[in-house]
Amino acid sequence: MDSPVIDFHCHAGSWGRYGVDADCDLYLKVMDAAGVDRSCINCIWFGDARRGNDLVMEYVSRAPDRFIGVAFATPHYPEEAVRELERAVHGLGMAYVKIYPDYFGLPNDDPAYFPIYEWIDEQEMAVMCHATYPFDPPGTTIEGRFTALSERFPNVRWVMAHTAGTLDADAAETARTLPNVYMETCSSRTTLGATEFNVERAGEDKVLYGSDMALMDARHQIAKVVTADIPRRAKEKILGLNAIRLLRLDDPAKGGAI
Amino acid sequence: MTRAVDLDFRPEAPAFDANAALGRRHDRRVSVDDAAGLLAEMDRAGVERALVYAPHAAAFDSAEGNAGLLEAIGDESRLVPQFVCNPTFDDLEATAAQIEAAGVRAVRMVPTLHHYPFRSWVVEEWLEWLSARGIPLWLPASYEANWHDGGDLDPHAVHETVRQFPDLTVVLCEVHYVQASWAPPLLRSLPNLSIEVSRYVIVDGIARLLEIVGPERVLYGSRFPEQAIAPQLYHLHRLGLNAADLRAVCGGNLERLLRM
Repeated sequence: MDSPVIDFHCHAGSWGRYGVDADCDLYLKVMDAAGVDRSCINCIWFGDARRGNDLVMEYVSRAPDRFIGVAFATPHYPEEAVRELERAVHGLGMAYVKIYPDYFGLPNDDPAYFPIYEWIDEQEMAVMCHATYPFDPPGTTIEGRFTALSERFPNVRWVMAHTAGTLDADAAETARTLPNVYMETCSSRTTLGATEFNVERAGEDKVLYGSDMALMDARHQIAKVVTADIPRRAKEKILGLNAIRLLRLDDPAKGGAI
Repeated sequence: MTRAVDLDFRPEAPAFDANAALGRRHDRRVSVDDAAGLLAEMDRAGVERALVYAPHAAAFDSAEGNAGLLEAIGDESRLVPQFVCNPTFDDLEATAAQIEAAGVRAVRMVPTLHHYPFRSWVVEEWLEWLSARGIPLWLPASYEANWHDGGDLDPHAVHETVRQFPDLTVVLCEVHYVQASWAPPLLRSLPNLSIEVSRYVIVDGIARLLEIVGPERVLYGSRFPEQAIAPQLYHLHRLGLNAADLRAVCGGNLERLLRM
C-alpha cells in the first residue's frame, strides 16, 4: 500500500496494571511491524494533564516523524484545562484533543466539558472520546448526544473512539448523518463484520483506524481493516487518508506535512 | 517508509483454527451459524481447517449440542468436532462412547458457565479418562453471554488440578488482556498447558508468550463467529517468526495435539 498509515488512537506512558511499559523502542518496533507510519499518542493516565502531555512530548521528541502529539484535558481541574490546552496545542504543537469522561463520572455532553469544547471549537480542531458511558441516563442515544453537541459546537470534529469496532447502528447512523462526526476502530474484540458494517452504514470517509496502543497491539488492530471485505480504496482511507484530511496533516501551514 | 501493510494478505503457513463455534446461539443471532458460512469465511481468510464446538452444547445441553454439531459438520473434513462436556452432570461412560464413536479428538469444559470448581474432586475421573486417551482439554478463561456472567476461570484451581495430570494436555483459550496477569505464570508453571490466542491482543503479548513457553504451546484461534477469522492470523504473520515457528503456531501445534 502506497498511502500513509496513521494510527489515530494511541496512548503513551506505562500502565503497570496490564504489564505495559513506557517503552518507546517497543512502540516503534510494533509500529514498524504493523506498517504504521505515524501514531497519534495521548496520555490520559494522570490527574495532572500537563504531566501527561509532557510525557507525550518525550515520545514525539524521540521520533518526530513517527509520533503526533494529542493533548489531554480534564474537567477535574477546570481552572487549568484551557490554559493547558493552549500550551499543548499552540506551544507543543499537538494535533487534537483527547478527553476521558469515564474518569470524570459524567458523560461527554455534561456542561463541565463545555469550556473545553468552546476552546476546541475556536481552534476548529478534533476531539476524541467514547460515545457511551456506563453512567449514561436511560434513553440516551449517540445520535441525540452528538447532534446536540454538533449544533452547539459546529466547528468541533468529533471522533467516537471504539465505535467502528462494534456493530452499533446508532453510532454508525450518527457518523453518517452528522458531517463532523467520525468513528474509530480499536477494540479488544475483533467483532466479525464490524469494519464492513460501519463502512457500509457510515461511509468509508467516516472511519479512522486506531489501535489503542500501547494496551493493544497495532499488528492485530490494523488487521481488522486490512483483512476486511471492503474495497481497497476504503482501506486506504481508513488506514490514513481520512486522518490526514481530518487533522490537515497535508497542510504545511499547519506544520504537519506528511 | 516502514514495512508496508499487506492488503493482499494470505497466510504463508497452513492455518488450522483452534477455536471456532458452529451453530445457532439462543441468546442472539450470529452472522454465520452454519457450516457453509463458516467454510466461506475460512476460504476468504485462507484457513484450511477449524476445530469447532457447538454453542448449544455449552449453553444448554452437551449431549444434544454435541449431536447437533456432528450433524452440522456432516462429512466435511475441514471441520473437526470438539465436544463440550459437563463433568458434573454428564455420564462419563456414555460420553466416552460417543466421543469414541464419532472420533472426536478434543473436549471443552466450561466451569465458569456450568458452575463448578475445576478441582480434582469434581473432574478427576474425566481428566483421568482424557489423559489415558490422549484427548486434549480446552478451558475458556471466561464465557461471555448476555444472560450470564460467571466471572473468570479460577487460575489457582487450574494450577492445582492440571498439575496432577502431567500427561493431559490442556489448552487455555479465550484469554483476554485482563487475564494477562495470571495466564503467563500459569503457563510457566504447567508444562502441559498451552494457550489459544484469539483474544490475546495486548501489546507484544504473543511475543512474550512465545518467550515464556516457546512456539510449541501457542495456538492460533479466531473465536469465530463472535470474531473475524483473519485478524489474529495477520498479527501472527507480523511477529517476525521463522517459518517453522509460524507453521507451528498457525496450525502445526493443533494438528499435533489432535494427533492428526
